[in-house]
Amino acid sequence: MRNAHRGRIAALLLLVVPLTIYIAVYVAPLLSIVSLSVDNGALSNRFVQLSEAIGSDDQDQRAAALLHDLASMDARERAEAARMLNQELGGFRSLVIDTGKAAEKIDPTMAGLVAFDARWKERAYWDVLSRNLASFTWRHFQKATGFKPDETGRLRLAEGDDIYLRIMARTLLIALQVAVLTLLIGYPLAYAAANGSRRLSGFILTVVLLSFWTSILVRTTAWVVLLQSDGLINNLLLDLRLITDPLQLIFNRFGTVVSMTHVLLPFAILPMMNVMKTIPKTQVDASRSLGAGSIETFLRVYFPQSLRGVFVGGGTVFILSLGFYITPALTGGPGDQMVSYYIAEFVKKSLNWGMASALSVILLLSVVVLLLLGAGAKRLFGGRVVEA
Amino acid sequence: MNNITKLLLASSCVFLTAQAVQARDFTIAGWGGNYQDAQREAYFQPFADAKGLKFIETTYLGGLAEVKAMADSGNVTWDLVIVEGADLQLGCDEGLFETIDWETIGGKAQLNSHAVQPCGAGNVVIGNGFAYSSKAFPEAPKDWSDFFNPEKFPGKRGMRNSPKMNLEYALLADGVPPEKVYEVLATPEGVDRAFAQLDKIKNLLQFWEAGSQPVEWLSAGNVTMSTAYNGRIITAKSEGRPLEFVWKNHIYNIDVWAIPAKSPYKKEALEFLKFANSAEPQAKFSSLMPYGPTNLEAAKLLPAETLERLPTGKNIADALFFSDAFWIDHSDELTERWNNWSTR
Repeated sequence: MRNAHRGRIAALLLLVVPLTIYIAVYVAPLLSIVSLSVDNGALSNRFVQLSEAIGSDDQDQRAAALLHDLASMDARERAEAARMLNQELGGFRSLVIDTGKAAEKIDPTMAGLVAFDARWKERAYWDVLSRNLASFTWRHFQKATGFKPDETGRLRLAEGDDIYLRIMARTLLIALQVAVLTLLIGYPLAYAAANGSRRLSGFILTVVLLSFWTSILVRTTAWVVLLQSDGLINNLLLDLRLITDPLQLIFNRFGTVVSMTHVLLPFAILPMMNVMKTIPKTQVDASRSLGAGSIETFLRVYFPQSLRGVFVGGGTVFILSLGFYITPALTGGPGDQMVSYYIAEFVKKSLNWGMASALSVILLLSVVVLLLLGAGAKRLFGGRVVEA
Repeated sequence: MNNITKLLLASSCVFLTAQAVQARDFTIAGWGGNYQDAQREAYFQPFADAKGLKFIETTYLGGLAEVKAMADSGNVTWDLVIVEGADLQLGCDEGLFETIDWETIGGKAQLNSHAVQPCGAGNVVIGNGFAYSSKAFPEAPKDWSDFFNPEKFPGKRGMRNSPKMNLEYALLADGVPPEKVYEVLATPEGVDRAFAQLDKIKNLLQFWEAGSQPVEWLSAGNVTMSTAYNGRIITAKSEGRPLEFVWKNHIYNIDVWAIPAKSPYKKEALEFLKFANSAEPQAKFSSLMPYGPTNLEAAKLLPAETLERLPTGKNIADALFFSDAFWIDHSDELTERWNNWSTR
């Protein structure tokens, strides 16, 4: 009795270890990304006096507070704050750095500030400052969605600000196209591999796994070689006199979808094949012996049972597609870049990690919403599929 | 000994060696390709041989993400990196690079004044212009207005997916003289004017990511013209590819050696800068890779036919010096507008 109890505690303790590791390697970075997307500490902690004075009607008091805050930052902190303010308003960086360097010598009045640099007269700079004095900010999300509060505080989508929404929609569309295509191509292959002769299924598996084990970069570059203007396909069509001018097959949506479909095909085939292998062949025989034709048997007996594999394969391809960026960058045109491309740009080139995090969070949320919708749809229609 | 013990022993050996490598060798990050090959021959190897130092190389793709991660985590894995001017300035202000005491390393007088920076030593002058396939047109395109003229010069255009330099090219094509470009670009009307030029070729654009792509695309006929680095095109041309680089009104910038903050090899890195600033290795580098030297004496060591391939002398007579200061202030907003424009 006692031993059994102890055993259970030991098992529990043993489970705690992988759970902790899981939380550490999965959930913690996720939380840090979420916090990065709304964190404004780098600004709020450094403009302490200004955040008290910003509400005051006395211009000189605001100017003096700003100068005091700038003077108390070290050069590094000032540069970081300047970089963040510049993300909101071009030119703010040099204004903050120049003013900061001379902060102690400038007369602590608004007139003194404006005399040092006339830009301090403009309201835009003060508006950006006053928006960024809280330790928490929505500005990255506002930029990512394009919804910004207007003067009355109502959220409004200005024209041209919807760039990331458009890119998000495009990302979802491309992912959907790729998922559907991989399923259409993958289903017959998976069927043949699961039900065909040993030799045929071995051959299909080898081909699928070979391409699975080849680097994405190599496979993508291979498509460039095949599809470009004087590539193999165009040359073949020209030689056969089917076309007179080379077709534009790459650096557009077509090239992007084709190469992504090829790269992701194994992720659709393998789960479908595994599910199909579990469908007993005797059921097909039974259905035929009860008088159903081969098409009816497939549609009413085989296909519904293979749907689980279709959902797993399609879902995997869809989710993986959402994160693609190397393949579209190499085979797509300007109108085919997906959201990860811009996330990478913000991380690497503009050092705007807040914006990169906000876009990642939105991407993650849209996946969660889609999964929930999928689960809901399954609950609604799930029974009917089996019935049919 | 059974198999499992052997496996354990082997893996612990691997683990221990991995630990030993942690006390790592002198590490240099460069832009890869034949650019880095030439640097190895002209700088890395001679320097390492002279100092009896072991070095390893890695590839850098621009931006400050890696250097910032090193500074934030305290795990500094690079000792030298060759960066673009704007990144040097940003990183220097935020303390991501070591400051350089020019009095100690000396040699300042021999260098181009743009090369002497608080956190870096400018080393390589790069010409950014456009190239065309010499088979594509009966008449050769001569300047930026030809690049932006799809009626006279049909075909796709390669460009980098960034507003940097492309907006300048557009204004040059629109007839703005080089010395006025940044003045015009600083006004909202100037930016509109640049985008209006870009609209003319928008449906022909194809964006490149790496400097090798324009060479491949032009050779394969995917594009008829492309913006490009002079070095890549001129090297490919000397290998027999039918490519031409247009020097007229090109933009030149300087790549800069910088030392990531708290590098354990700071002393060696500073000695490297001293070596890299001197005339002989710079002349050697320029003879291997057609980019220009920053040491004013280096040109005297080079024959005339090499100088013709470099962004120096008469080639930069009507060129524009890339403004890091302008782009540090305006990159965020102009990149946003560029992305908005290019994805529509």
